[in-house]
Amino acid sequence: MKTLFQTKPGALLIATLVLAIAASAQTPQTSRLELSSLDHLAAKASQTVDVNIDERLMRIAAKAFSDKDADEREIKKLITGVKGIYVKSFEFDSDGQFTTADVEAVRAQLHGPGWIRLVNVTSKKEGNVEVYLLMVGDDIGGLAVLSSEDRELTVVNIVGPVDLEKLAKLEGQFGVPELGIEKTKDKAKKDDN
Amino acid sequence: MPRTHIRIFAVVAVLALTSAAYAKGDDFNAVVKMIEQFYGVKHEGIPFLARAGMGAARTAARIKGGTARRFAEAGSVKLAVFEDQKFNGEFLKFRNTLNAALNETWSPLVQTVSATDNEQVYIYLREAGEKYNVLVITIEQRDATVVQVTLSPENLKLLLKDPEGTGKAITEEATIIDQE
Repeated sequence: MKTLFQTKPGALLIATLVLAIAASAQTPQTSRLELSSLDHLAAKASQTVDVNIDERLMRIAAKAFSDKDADEREIKKLITGVKGIYVKSFEFDSDGQFTTADVEAVRAQLHGPGWIRLVNVTSKKEGNVEVYLLMVGDDIGGLAVLSSEDRELTVVNIVGPVDLEKLAKLEGQFGVPELGIEKTKDKAKKDDN
Repeated sequence: MPRTHIRIFAVVAVLALTSAAYAKGDDFNAVVKMIEQFYGVKHEGIPFLARAGMGAARTAARIKGGTARRFAEAGSVKLAVFEDQKFNGEFLKFRNTLNAALNETWSPLVQTVSATDNEQVYIYLREAGEKYNVLVITIEQRDATVVQVTLSPENLKLLLKDPEGTGKAITEEATIIDQE
């Protein structure tokens, strides 16, 4: 009797399965968050800001800043390797314009594999600020900040290698809002929520 | 195939080809046309006095010894103005239409929308050889402007550091300062 692998369709099926498993294992974790679920809030917001510095723009930015000037060299160093900076920010005229479900749609993605929540972060800004890092092995593959106040909701998503020191220096530049984030300790704790 | 079906197919094919041509050809004119069609408005050209004003502004910059900053490279400004018209419509739908049309060649740098004040600002960027093209679309309750300029690498840095502020300054330079 022929085994499954010895028949032509069987061999094809097994090969396909093996390839699919191998491909899924090799798929790199992406630190780009899907934020379109928040788009509906724009209709209620007094101000919506959408910053999309994609890979194409990051390449342009890296090219524009020179190595000769010290300040520019610093900026160039900050953005080297970064594949994208995405910001979505909503300001409302009254309380209760966004729901827990809106925030949870973003937070759920940050509970995915590789993401850790930093517990050693404080913000000068009032409200709730959560900072997450995507770890790819020992390296940082991305960063996300979820900031919510009664009348404000902001998500900052940096794709590529970046750390909190870099984020602090990027605040107020490249469309990254002032979040007043400070790292108080060096440890990051695995988010187990 | 019935004749009606052939006609419908032909119309759909022509529309598809036209919209593809919109995005790939002159994007500035395509955006102006898109605003006209979406909001049912009509743009105005740059008035003669404003053109004369551009020369005056350049002279003023020279008199000041070049201290006045000018963002746009000389002769690169394309401007369309919509004055005292109604811009009623779903801005999310407009934003999606705009992004879909420009996505291939332009990167959407910053998009700011205020539902309560009925204001929208869209800033797109693309490479143009050694320089950069910036497209700034501002739509308010009764007025709108579409500005396309070429930026030097030096001014691009300012745009990247402060996209909203520089985008606003580019529009002001094209519409207000040049008309002074």
